[in-house]
Amino acid sequence: MVIQLEKVSVTYPGGVEALRGVDLTVDKGEFVVIVGLSGAGKSTLLRVLNGLVPATSGSVVVDGTEVVGASAATLRRVRSRIGMIFQTFNLVYRTTVINNVLMGRLSETPAWRSTLGLWPAPEREIAMQALERVGIVEKAYVRASDLSGGQQQRVGIARALAQEPSLMLADEPVAALDPVTSRQVMGDLQRINRELGITTLVNLHFLDLAREYGRRLIGLRDGLVIFDGDIGDVDDAIFRDIYGRDITAEDLLAVGGEPNPPTAGSPDA
Amino acid sequence: MTAPTTTDYAAPRPLPPGKVRTRRWVIALVIVVATVWSVSGLQVTLDRLLGAPGDAWAILRQMTPPAFSEVYERGALGKILESVYIAWIGTIIGAALSLPLAFLAAHNVAPHWVRVPIRQLFNAIRAVPELILAVIFIPITGLGAWAGTMAIGIHSIGTLGKWAAESIESIDDGPIEAVEACGGRWASEMRWAVLPQVMPNIASYWLFRFEINVRASAVLGMIGAGGVGSELVLHLSFRNFPAACAVLLMTITVVLTIDTVSAAVRRRIIRGATGTGDEASRSTEALVDLTGLRR
Amino acid sequence: MTLTAEGPTRPNRPRTRPLTYAVAASLVAGTTWAAVKVGFDPSTFWKVWSNPLWEKFWPVPWDWVFDGRNVIRPLIETFQIAIVSTVIGCGLALPISFAMSSLTTPNRPTYLVSRAVMNVVRAVPDLFWAKLLVTAIGIGAFAGSWALSVFSLAVMVKLFSETVDGADPRPLEAARSAGGRHAPVVRTGVLPSVFPAYVAYALYVFELNIRASIVLGLVGAGGIGRVIEAQRQFFRFDRVLGILMIIFVAVWVIEHVSVALRKRLT
Repeated sequence: MVIQLEKVSVTYPGGVEALRGVDLTVDKGEFVVIVGLSGAGKSTLLRVLNGLVPATSGSVVVDGTEVVGASAATLRRVRSRIGMIFQTFNLVYRTTVINNVLMGRLSETPAWRSTLGLWPAPEREIAMQALERVGIVEKAYVRASDLSGGQQQRVGIARALAQEPSLMLADEPVAALDPVTSRQVMGDLQRINRELGITTLVNLHFLDLAREYGRRLIGLRDGLVIFDGDIGDVDDAIFRDIYGRDITAEDLLAVGGEPNPPTAGSPDA
Repeated sequence: MTAPTTTDYAAPRPLPPGKVRTRRWVIALVIVVATVWSVSGLQVTLDRLLGAPGDAWAILRQMTPPAFSEVYERGALGKILESVYIAWIGTIIGAALSLPLAFLAAHNVAPHWVRVPIRQLFNAIRAVPELILAVIFIPITGLGAWAGTMAIGIHSIGTLGKWAAESIESIDDGPIEAVEACGGRWASEMRWAVLPQVMPNIASYWLFRFEINVRASAVLGMIGAGGVGSELVLHLSFRNFPAACAVLLMTITVVLTIDTVSAAVRRRIIRGATGTGDEASRSTEALVDLTGLRR
Repeated sequence: MTLTAEGPTRPNRPRTRPLTYAVAASLVAGTTWAAVKVGFDPSTFWKVWSNPLWEKFWPVPWDWVFDGRNVIRPLIETFQIAIVSTVIGCGLALPISFAMSSLTTPNRPTYLVSRAVMNVVRAVPDLFWAKLLVTAIGIGAFAGSWALSVFSLAVMVKLFSETVDGADPRPLEAARSAGGRHAPVVRTGVLPSVFPAYVAYALYVFELNIRASIVLGLVGAGGIGRVIEAQRQFFRFDRVLGILMIIFVAVWVIEHVSVALRKRLT
């Protein structure tokens, strides 16, 4: 068992309740897709797991470590085993790709060495391997700003991979990408999940992508888990529960030449 | 699965770019050599280096407690106010003289043959520090506040003129064309098309220059051009450290107060000019503007 | 558009508020008062030109000026002061700026204390620092370097911490989620994006220091200012003018190099 959430609530300083008593268990090696409207608490749910957003109450256990109320050192140790991929990539665009990926090795490198930029050779090797895994090693010494959007997100994935994580969190990883690159990135994530056995949680907006790549689906609405089960069981009624409305073309990515007719729900554009 | 199987991907790893690395070392070496050469010219002995913090600490201890009542009776407050007056009048002189010149120095509203000499005049003025100007003025006007005021006024023309000309250059040219189309003269173009666009910026530059001038006028007193500087020099040369400390603290208080008030007024002027917006980014922008750093 | 008398009534011209009058009146009164206090005398503007002292400015004794020991050596010392202080001031400014920015500060007390201290340091004019340090550690370039270092530090942290404030916070989140300590997180997540600005500001501070170091000597803190002060006390304004010309050329060259470097950075 990798993740266990019990009655987790998050209230932001403004009084917004992002999560309201979420109970959740995710086993090792699972590929979980989380869907919901924006503001439903998807991003908060992921950030509670690595403590970037502290839970107001409840318990979050990751790999046997309690995250809620953990000390800074404990939190760093937990984070070092959790890779995170962001919607906006969150790269440092003014430096090289390899320097971005090396950020994933921060927790394993003595502070003085990383501060001075003197990364040890083994760490560089790990970063290079991570770049090889996402297929852009030839861009290692290119400035991140000179890459295309899809390549930038692959750098983001490589950075997460360089942590050698046992858990991968992806927060809307393809929201800023075009359909073709979206599929490549999702494919990368799926392959990483299968080949390395890294438990993966992905926030998605597009239902057809969720159906294509996910096995387990969690539906969030107003900070509550509305649905949690096999992706094949999702039908119109469940979808309405999650989104509060019928499915529309906007919720589908459907690329030309590779039609993915939804089995549940009828598109009405 | 249509996704490429990139695990068998066997692109060769690129070599680290050697050029960048060499350039970095060269730059680092230049800085180190320049620093070492400079230190060698400053007659720094190890003895002095190690003694300096102790000496500074000794003075600091003698400075407490500050002798506020003593310097107050000697009229230090009046001297500080004199510094503020010098800065204020100097800024006004600088503003009044620089504004018309700025219009003649902006490339979008002035012909080349006028613009170039005026730009050079601004640069020449900026190159001479206030203190040097005061050194030149003192034999002419005599010791006292007026020498300092003139020095600050003249020096301010350089920076104020440059900033104002730059903000004139960044305006929207449409209104100029509109006034032209109405048959307006050059002067009416400046007054009705250019001035309304640049006045908020220029006014905030004046205030910013006033903040700088308050510090400058405090310094001018040190060579007898009026203001609080003479008090500090006097107390320090008689090694009356509590009094010097009091003067220093009073100066800091006045400078900080003026900075805070002036910055608040500047923010209002600029915000009123460009509507609502992101406060933080604007202040950086203004700072970049004011320091002449364009990124 | 038809110009007829019909339609809505014309609005009245908005009245100027009494507060505006009050502010304007007090500004005029305050300015007049200040002008009286500083001995405002516009006649100086034309009297300046007919002053007999100007004769003392000419001719410039070029032999004396170009004798290495008189001007060139002190001028070199001036630039050495500027270089040392730029290196020390800007070097120290790097960590302090990160402590002073709400984005990268390690904790709230560090943030507040560093801001307060730096504001006070910046409120003290540069030559006050010079005079204080000359009194404390003795006359000469050594005291001048310290004074200018403090001054450049204060200017640099002001400029650079505002840049750090405006840096992209998202890579910082990414670095944090990788589980790094504070310093490396800031180093890898923020520094690369703000470093070009840092170098540009450092060059700018160097230009400021070149100008500031010229006058340090007027209060005994070393450099060319010492020569100017000595010559003006002997009323040798011809020599002063010669020195000023040399300074002008040297500063002009250095500034153009520095501006060119700054342009290449962007």
